[in-house]
Amino acid sequence: MYDLVRGPLMWVAFAVFIVGFVYRAVQMFIVSKKKEKFFYPVSWAEKQSIGDYSPEEHRLKWLVSFKNSMLGNYPIVTIVTSIFHVCLFVTPIFLLGHNLFLYKAWKIRFLSLPESITDFFTLIFLLCGFFFLLRRIIVPRLRAISTFNDYFLLLITIAPFLTGYFAYHQWFDYKTMLTIHILSGEIMLMAVTFTKLGHIIFFFFNRFHISSEYGLCQGSRTW
Amino acid sequence: MAVGEAKPVDKGHVKNLLNKKKGKMKLSLFLCAHCGLCAESCPLYRLHNQDPRYMPSYKVINSLGKLYKKINKVDGSLLEEMKELIFKNCVLCGRCYCPLGIDISKMIALARSVCRSQGVCGVYPYSLGAHEEDFPEALSGMGAIEEK
Repeated sequence: MYDLVRGPLMWVAFAVFIVGFVYRAVQMFIVSKKKEKFFYPVSWAEKQSIGDYSPEEHRLKWLVSFKNSMLGNYPIVTIVTSIFHVCLFVTPIFLLGHNLFLYKAWKIRFLSLPESITDFFTLIFLLCGFFFLLRRIIVPRLRAISTFNDYFLLLITIAPFLTGYFAYHQWFDYKTMLTIHILSGEIMLMAVTFTKLGHIIFFFFNRFHISSEYGLCQGSRTW
Repeated sequence: MAVGEAKPVDKGHVKNLLNKKKGKMKLSLFLCAHCGLCAESCPLYRLHNQDPRYMPSYKVINSLGKLYKKINKVDGSLLEEMKELIFKNCVLCGRCYCPLGIDISKMIALARSVCRSQGVCGVYPYSLGAHEEDFPEALSGMGAIEEK
């Protein structure tokens, strides 16, 4: 089983990810071909220059916009989600164990962080994941829109980290845990382009799509 | 026809309207992470004691989301069900903000177009929290009920 998940299944996961990514990229390109009407015809630079404010008014303006920002509205969630997503990327890329495997297989060297730090990041990531689970269960507005998929995707995201943590600390049988760890990572990779985890990729591009004041570059497909 | 009674629906027309923007709208529905972070950006959500039914993502999922899910089986009762959500619970002010960059107001606008094309529409006093029976003359004027 270990050889299967380290060998052919890993290539299947990569292939599914790449095919899915290309499919989604083409889909996004096609749907954004037609430029939509921009109903807020004031550019960002113009917005900044409107009005002649005193320092006190500037401070007040800044306070109001901060209060209405994501950080102002949801300070805890914004901080937790930022930490969660940073850990999600940094931990697997700079993990010594992963880089040793990479070197062994393809003779590629990446920068590695000390194991104690990546171990700490994993723990933080798991705590953030647990926070999101609790939030989804407790907060009424989230309960109202949550489906089985939302819980399942959270599990898919957390599973590689949880099993990796268990494997590193050699809790339970090491080889079995390592196999489950690799398998869960492959499942996550395959799920990225075909589930809501797609926001990992499209978070950055989607903002150019919006033809409102929240959009970048005034509407769709201007990147 | 009495208030609340489902009207016959031109399924072909509804399907055409939905298919016109299918790519972009389905991609947006697919990308919604159900994070609920759009809630506070809606003035009506704040005004109604953080009632989840006023949350932008709730409105989209339960209107346009349902329309695409049942694209071949859209009927009058489905449109009547979502009428309150997209006409009363949303004023289409465009203040809704999605951290993933989804254009929520455009999606609600499409759901409204579909409803309106089938004669299902909202009335202004709804947005002030009024009930249908409080404004029979307004409703009859909009063609929502027939005069006796």
